[in-house]
Amino acid sequence: MSALTAPARIGRFGLYAFLIATALFFAIPLLVVISTSLKSLDEIRDFSIFVPPSSPHFSAWWKAWHAACTGLDCGGVHVGFWNSVRILIPSVTLSVLAGALNGYALSHWKVRGADLILLALLLGAFIPYQVILYPLVKITSTIGIYSSLPGIIAVHILFGLPVMTLLFRNFYAGLPDQLVKAARVDGAGFWRIFASVMLPLSVNILIVATILQTTGIWNDYLLGLIFAGRENQPMTVQLNAIATTSTGEIEYNVNMAAALLTALPPLLLYFASGRFFVRGITAGAVKG
Amino acid sequence: MIGVVVRGLSKSFGPVQALRGIDLVVEPGDFVVLLGPSGCGKSTLLNAIAGLDDIDAGSVQIGGVDVTQREPSERGIAMVFQSYALYPTMTVRRNLSFGLRVRSVPKTEIERRVAWVSELLQIGGLLDRKPSQLSGGQRQRVAIGRALVQQAKVFLLDEPLSNLDAKLRTEMRIELKRLHQSLGATIIYVTHDQIEAMTLATRIAVMRDGRIEQYAAPDVLYERPATLFVAGFVGSPGMNFLSGSLGRASTPVARIETDTIPLDSYPFRAAFAEGGEVVLGIRPEHVSLADPGARGSVIEAETLFIEPMGADTLVWFQYGSQRISARLSPQRARGLSGKVRLALDIDQISLFDPTTERRL
Repeated sequence: MSALTAPARIGRFGLYAFLIATALFFAIPLLVVISTSLKSLDEIRDFSIFVPPSSPHFSAWWKAWHAACTGLDCGGVHVGFWNSVRILIPSVTLSVLAGALNGYALSHWKVRGADLILLALLLGAFIPYQVILYPLVKITSTIGIYSSLPGIIAVHILFGLPVMTLLFRNFYAGLPDQLVKAARVDGAGFWRIFASVMLPLSVNILIVATILQTTGIWNDYLLGLIFAGRENQPMTVQLNAIATTSTGEIEYNVNMAAALLTALPPLLLYFASGRFFVRGITAGAVKG
Repeated sequence: MIGVVVRGLSKSFGPVQALRGIDLVVEPGDFVVLLGPSGCGKSTLLNAIAGLDDIDAGSVQIGGVDVTQREPSERGIAMVFQSYALYPTMTVRRNLSFGLRVRSVPKTEIERRVAWVSELLQIGGLLDRKPSQLSGGQRQRVAIGRALVQQAKVFLLDEPLSNLDAKLRTEMRIELKRLHQSLGATIIYVTHDQIEAMTLATRIAVMRDGRIEQYAAPDVLYERPATLFVAGFVGSPGMNFLSGSLGRASTPVARIETDTIPLDSYPFRAAFAEGGEVVLGIRPEHVSLADPGARGSVIEAETLFIEPMGADTLVWFQYGSQRISARLSPQRARGLSGKVRLALDIDQISLFDPTTERRL
């Protein structure tokens, strides 16, 4: 880098200027949301949205968390937050495990019609939610889990299964067949091989799957609105209710803070887990 | 000690017939090598004996018990894989003990056996490492160790040395031979490397297209190959094949090019068919430079090129329309050129029918 010629230097400068400008352009909405959430209502009313807050304070955040109103309930988004957590944890855990198990069975064991199952799953991954909403409402209400926590969890697992299975199948198909054969000769059965040999090898893919499912399920609005029921409305549904509540003055700062609070968990997850995407754990597992 | 008997084993993968009615008897304590080019079915046969693949027809007996329907773990076998297939997330110690832990062997017994194996294979210092921290040779030892701790009666090895470099392969070959002699276990070993087969085996089964071409001791295989395929596959450098026809002077002869080679001492297996086509096989080491006045079969050939191999030198000659190679001492081969008289050792030849490819 030390010996750049003058034209190259100018070119590099232009490149960076362009990149920074582009980054700023895409960051503007986020910056506006953040700065608005830190302003008072008077400040929002009197000045342009691009003016930074004169005395930033978190009262809107506090209100969004504790006291924002959805209709007549004024409990803030923390109610929805805990609902989302209650939906998220079992849905993610079960759908990832089910996907791993399916993928393992389909890639390393002789399953009758495995190719057909795989094709069906692939198709399943492409079917838009809206198409199956109504039948699914009928099915869940028939078996009595419509509009309940188990109901929304079951729906999330169901919708997660195709992609999770394909993800894990492709990962396991890349592991050498002889690993499973060796374990079979060692006397291990289907479950033991899964638990002792396959799962420990799957740390990276488990993390990827967990991130995919966590973001998907946390950001879900449609399924939560329809299948969760009033008692278990996830954060996204509650956020929408807060933003569209039209009684009295519209508290933009509270709405912005609520939106940020809702978006925060997946964001934190990305920051925390990025490095696992690049690590290769099976390196050197087989041939030298 | 325990033997293995395979009867009428067939297996196809879709339209491809991998095994066509294999019969194989492995005597207790034998070191049997399944030898053949890739795709001949040797690994499929091993997997079938292990019970890892379903078979279409036939039976497998181990130690006199029919195990055809049994799981691999219930057959009293242990196996070493080509890719080693060590469990990547487990330490060497846990790799070795995995099978024993699965079978709920008491802890003290597990420790005793792991200690025994790690001493036997000199892997004691590696017990707490992961497979990724081992060299190829070390992984190979661990893979063999994992089979040994099972104290199985029959060991199945699937090309265990093919991922090692040449020097290490020679070392491990000696080690395997030593293990076989000290443990006295029955071993079935798959390889495409005929030197490995010749050095290790007590008996070799040469396979081709899902069939066993010949099943015999290494020296028999080398000296009296039953088919053209075996003759060509076993031995390096390969056997010379000269085509000609059978004839009769006062005794049976082979007419090759313009020469007549007497066959009076050849032990014919099949009926002698005068005028029939024949392929005469002779190994390069049985072709020598004819000294002046040499008796036996002497042919005249034109020197083509010389390949030094260290201990010996392989010299290629043009003999009429055919080629023939001779394995000579480097001193004798040096400076060879032009027309040369070659002596064929008639006691060491093999004759084949070119249509059936069988030994005459």
